[in-house]
Amino acid sequence: MIKLIIDNLRVEVPPGTRVIDAAEQAGIMIPRFCYHPALGAVGACRVCAVQVLEGSCRGIRMSCMIEAEEGMVISTTDEEAVAFRRQVIEWLMANHPHDCPVCDEGGQCLLQDMTVSGGHGRRRLPVKKRTHIDQHLGPLVVHEMNRCIQCYRCVRFYREYAGYTDLGVMGSAGRVYFGRRSDGVLESPFAGNLIDVCPTGVFTDRPSRFKGRYWDFERTPSVCIHCSLGCRVTVNTRYREVVRVEAAHDPQVNGWFICDRGRYGFPYASSPQRPRSARIDGRKSGVDEALDEAARRLSGIAQRHGSGSVALAASGRVCLETLGALTRFGSEKGWRGPFFRAGPRTAEALQSASKNLEEKISISLKDIEKSDFILLVGCDPVNEAPMLALSVRQARRRGAVVALADARSVQLPLDARRLALRPSQLTAALMRFAGKAVADGGAALSDRARGFLQACRDSRVDPAVDEQIDHLGLAARESRRPVVVCGTSAVAPDTPAAAANVARLLAAEGRKAGFFPVLPGANALALGLAGRTADHGAALREALEKGDVRALVVVETNLSELGFSADDPLLENLEALVVCDCLDSAAGRAARVFIPTQTVFEAGGTFVSAEARVREARPAFRGGTPVAQVSGGGHPPRTFSPDIPGADPLPAWQVLAALAREGTRVSADTLRKALPAPLCGAAPGKRLALPASAPDAFQPPEDPATAADGGLEVVVCEHIFGSEPLSRRAACLQELESAPRLGLHPGDAAALQLSAGQRVAVDCGRGVIEGEIEIVNEMARGVLLVPRLRGIDWHAAADGPLVVAVADIRSVKPNGES
Amino acid sequence: MLAWITGLIVLLVKLVVVLVALLLTAAYLVWAERKLLARLQVRLGPNRAGKFGLLQPIADMIKLLTKEDLVPESADRVIFLLAPAVVSVTALLMFAVVPFGTDITLFGRRVPLIISDINVALLLVFAFSSLGVYGVALGGWASNSKFALIGGIRGAAQMISYELPLGLSLVPVVMLARSFSLVDIVNAQNSYPFILVQPLAFAIFVISAMAESKRIPFDLPEAENELGAGFHTEYSGMRFGLFFLGEYVHMQVLGALVAVFFLGGWRGPWLPGPLWLFVKIIAVALVMIWIRGTLPRLRYDQLMAICWKVLVPAALINIILTGFVMLI
Amino acid sequence: MSSDRTKKTKPADHPGTLIAESIKALGSGFATTAKHLLRRPVTEQYPEQKRVLPERSRARIVLTRDPDGRERCVACYLCSAVCPVSCISMQSTGGEGGRRVAAWFRINFSRCIYCGLCEEACPTSAIQLTPDFENCRQDILEMVFEKDDLLVDHGGRDDRYCFYRHAGIATDTAGKGEHVNEQPPVDAKSNLP
Ligand code: SF4
Ligand code: SF4
Ligand code: SF4
Ligand code: SF4
Ligand code: FES
Repeated sequence: MIKLIIDNLRVEVPPGTRVIDAAEQAGIMIPRFCYHPALGAVGACRVCAVQVLEGSCRGIRMSCMIEAEEGMVISTTDEEAVAFRRQVIEWLMANHPHDCPVCDEGGQCLLQDMTVSGGHGRRRLPVKKRTHIDQHLGPLVVHEMNRCIQCYRCVRFYREYAGYTDLGVMGSAGRVYFGRRSDGVLESPFAGNLIDVCPTGVFTDRPSRFKGRYWDFERTPSVCIHCSLGCRVTVNTRYREVVRVEAAHDPQVNGWFICDRGRYGFPYASSPQRPRSARIDGRKSGVDEALDEAARRLSGIAQRHGSGSVALAASGRVCLETLGALTRFGSEKGWRGPFFRAGPRTAEALQSASKNLEEKISISLKDIEKSDFILLVGCDPVNEAPMLALSVRQARRRGAVVALADARSVQLPLDARRLALRPSQLTAALMRFAGKAVADGGAALSDRARGFLQACRDSRVDPAVDEQIDHLGLAARESRRPVVVCGTSAVAPDTPAAAANVARLLAAEGRKAGFFPVLPGANALALGLAGRTADHGAALREALEKGDVRALVVVETNLSELGFSADDPLLENLEALVVCDCLDSAAGRAARVFIPTQTVFEAGGTFVSAEARVREARPAFRGGTPVAQVSGGGHPPRTFSPDIPGADPLPAWQVLAALAREGTRVSADTLRKALPAPLCGAAPGKRLALPASAPDAFQPPEDPATAADGGLEVVVCEHIFGSEPLSRRAACLQELESAPRLGLHPGDAAALQLSAGQRVAVDCGRGVIEGEIEIVNEMARGVLLVPRLRGIDWHAAADGPLVVAVADIRSVKPNGES
Repeated sequence: MLAWITGLIVLLVKLVVVLVALLLTAAYLVWAERKLLARLQVRLGPNRAGKFGLLQPIADMIKLLTKEDLVPESADRVIFLLAPAVVSVTALLMFAVVPFGTDITLFGRRVPLIISDINVALLLVFAFSSLGVYGVALGGWASNSKFALIGGIRGAAQMISYELPLGLSLVPVVMLARSFSLVDIVNAQNSYPFILVQPLAFAIFVISAMAESKRIPFDLPEAENELGAGFHTEYSGMRFGLFFLGEYVHMQVLGALVAVFFLGGWRGPWLPGPLWLFVKIIAVALVMIWIRGTLPRLRYDQLMAICWKVLVPAALINIILTGFVMLI
Repeated sequence: MSSDRTKKTKPADHPGTLIAESIKALGSGFATTAKHLLRRPVTEQYPEQKRVLPERSRARIVLTRDPDGRERCVACYLCSAVCPVSCISMQSTGGEGGRRVAAWFRINFSRCIYCGLCEEACPTSAIQLTPDFENCRQDILEMVFEKDDLLVDHGGRDDRYCFYRHAGIATDTAGKGEHVNEQPPVDAKSNLP
């Protein structure tokens, strides 16, 4: 530890700490514009000047540029330093426009704060202000270049931290310009962070433009539920409406940033289409009445056909409390389920990923940043868990080797070694990699581990790629902190377990190896841990066909995730379809009884992220129709009553309790306690107490080579915008969705005599997927990519990589005829 | 039996007359105070209700009676409702022992112009005046509001403190009159009013009496610029009216007591006794209004310092001096 | 405080003089108020006698307009932020020509204390207090004024000022580089110094 004195305060910091951070630790906030803990220091703005009284470099220094030294004496209040800083502000303000009243940064603007605290009030410069033409940067970010103070934070984030190149700095001298070559949508799905990063109002939030001021917002700590990473966010609400979501700092998970799906995915909560009243057989009703009616029907069916004829369906969207309610009331009442995921393949992938997460190999996003070898297996970070991509990029910037084994042409903001493999090849490839990555016979390994290592060494993929894999394995030998990241959607069911075993093997060798699963949904890990393997969508389908299930209670779940289409005829066989959701969905409209639930912003909730971190979202507001919708845009109604219009929805767990006739006054705590271990011990802010070792550790997969001969493996690809059920309702993100096209390798396309733009229909057994063909160069052969986007009926292929025979693919005319 | 009944009737009549006179005077004292205060401050004062605003007290009363009687949700209801009555009733009761004049003869019966002449009348006056503290303190406490509570506590502390110099200042009077009965005290001033021989006691009594009645410059319990309205912040309607009434009855009681103890009571040339007493009461009240119009409110520490460091020692010295003089 | 007083009345350290001085001070006070009794009251008899209030006196609030007749308020929320009794509420929105305007703007006059802080905070001179203080209503809800009730058709004080001629943002009033005291926009792609 280094001891120094700042403003007569004794401060102790670890070596390498910058003076600006050391001061912050002591509670002294030195002004800054260009310095950002995540972006580092460049000394561009000169506003962090301090006086170094004692130390190797005396005089006025930039506190962000110098490191703390033993015995250093620093004064931030020294006259010369104060005058220096004041002058810097005056320069920066020389060209700043007279904009604050119409600038959305106003109120949370660093420049405003510094100007006011520096006492600068009147422009003395007799010359005219320089101006810039702004650019249109898409639906998310507003550009207003006049306000720039040349701190370079934006480009440092955009190009260096996030790794996208379409925004940069142009011009020279007093005219430097931060923008794109020309107008156009920002390509990075992390562009929203420019808003947080820019200390002035150059980049501001477009969806919340003019919606209010920082000081009028109710700011609530919350968690993003648009993917399984569980980034920490701050929710801003006003007048019963979520106005804006910002990144909140979490050093272990998302650092200072979030992705645009997390930032702009919230509008579903205040959408005018959001159902706010209950419905019984298509007729609007009070929530209490609907709860009564649903409970009556359910118990009637249970009496007539046995309690097992009532089934529950859930997805990774439900919070821990609701999952607890599903588990508790389901078992108390003898109901089946909860059913989750589309079928045995996806259910197994999720469960093996969840259950293989054990203490020794579980790591955080921060650990990924520190790793030196990252193998991404069957996962597409930018589209499935966006912030993971930034973590991987940070590791790459520090020199880590990044390799990617996937069927898709995964785009990353970094250079990675690519292995284009079919999902069915992934397990074998992984094992072959592990066989090479472990240098010797593994004398230190346990018997089981050695058995697994042997299986790895015996594994073969395809002579064409074996060599590449071996090469990669050899490269991994040197690594001290290897990480295996594994997805659960575009992989074979046994891949996650194999990935965990590989990580275990590397860890058993004495390295700090980690396993990081990428899961479907904010609470998917908990779902994987709590759910029963047999309760998947395909099983539900079977039970429906046999007539074993007569009533279905769907809780915050899109039935497409269970492999059902919106108008599935099987659903019509049901005696009672009860849907509890905060979204307006086809199933909800078809439901016999529909009960509106609260969103995470109203009910709050606990979620377990993919890295087994328990994340708490606090209720941000009490619910109700946004004032703007009640008033139709004009002034709020001139009647005053304590009732909140549209505040009928209840938290989903209370709905479930009411359906089980337990009354709605259940405590969220007891519901969490009803979950199986380790979920029952979930404490917000902590990591889940994971088992020390999973029961089937080092279990080699039974038949690792299940290659498809002749057919195509259909892979459903998640997209960052348009796939996730909540965020796909955001109008601003809909503009950014890609066109829904079926991806095919050029070789396969040639073999099938298909060309780009041609329409095909693919018979997946349970349904037909129809769409236009797109030729994708970097993807694996023998694979058909189906985007999970609107306009594509992807649910037929929802249960993981499914093999279709070539004969099942036929081309159709755009109007649908063969 | 008959004598007993006529006695009762006479007593009731006396009671009604005194009560009506007191209440009427109180009402018009309010008017006088507002009018005089306004003139002292170069204003007009009430002038809209009736000629010279003479109907103002009636308008005020109607307003107070018809206003909603609010009880704060968290108030201690019973005490809250009772407190104003305590204040006004104790003030009214003190009048029971004040003599208005010599006995008169009606229908062959001697009727003393006093409601009840008891030999410990002076102590009774003190007892009632101490009871009045309860109204203030409890009213302030029961309101369950910080302003009221602070007002109530200030009131209690102030009234209890000032009772001491109030009592001590009267000891020489009692020594001179050799009686606790107010009738005897008035009679003892047959030749000269005690103010001539006891100017110090008079000054101490008047100051303490004003502090007892919480009037400017001693109105700390209801200091409006820091406490809203002090102990009666939460009161409205007639309950507030009772506090208000209590204050103005108290003013008259003080006038009467000053008259009885120092100004010779109802004694005076030319005019009948009750009239003299009335004139003296009004004179004292007017002086009090004048003081209100002139002096600013004391600071709390000054208030306490005056009581304990000036008035109490002065009263004690006065007692000793009086005793000394009486001995020689 | 007390030391001040002893300093001023230096020879009065003697308690006798102190008492004498106090009595004199009291006496002069009473004399002053007594003299007031003889003076003519200064009271003005409102409503029979109405005084013309100075232009800058603070009462009923209005929203003024730009020289071109358009709404001046840019819904910046500064007045609502500064208002000590929180009686201003509004919702900003994008208006025509790139302007920022109030979708609605409400002042609850039953709460307003006419302190004038809103006027002082307003960067566009939109919100102004007028001398019209006779703004009472029987129904308290009528004291809640909406934008239409507040808007007047003149510029009030500062009637030549137009915020959008000074702000840097491009609107239909002035484009980039066309505002007061601005250079024409620079060409970022040029490398000339
Ligand atoms: S645009 Fe913002 S972040 Fe970028 S240099 Fe300018 S002020 Fe800094
Ligand atoms: S990475 Fe995931 S959790 Fe984080 S902000 Fe984006 S969508 Fe939300
Ligand atoms: S005058 Fe004062 S109280 Fe009234 S609206 Fe303006 S700031 Fe608020
Ligand atoms: S301060 Fe002025 S411009 Fe801003 S919202 Fe208020 S009235 Fe409008
Ligand atoms: S923060 Fe140090 S120079 Fe900008």
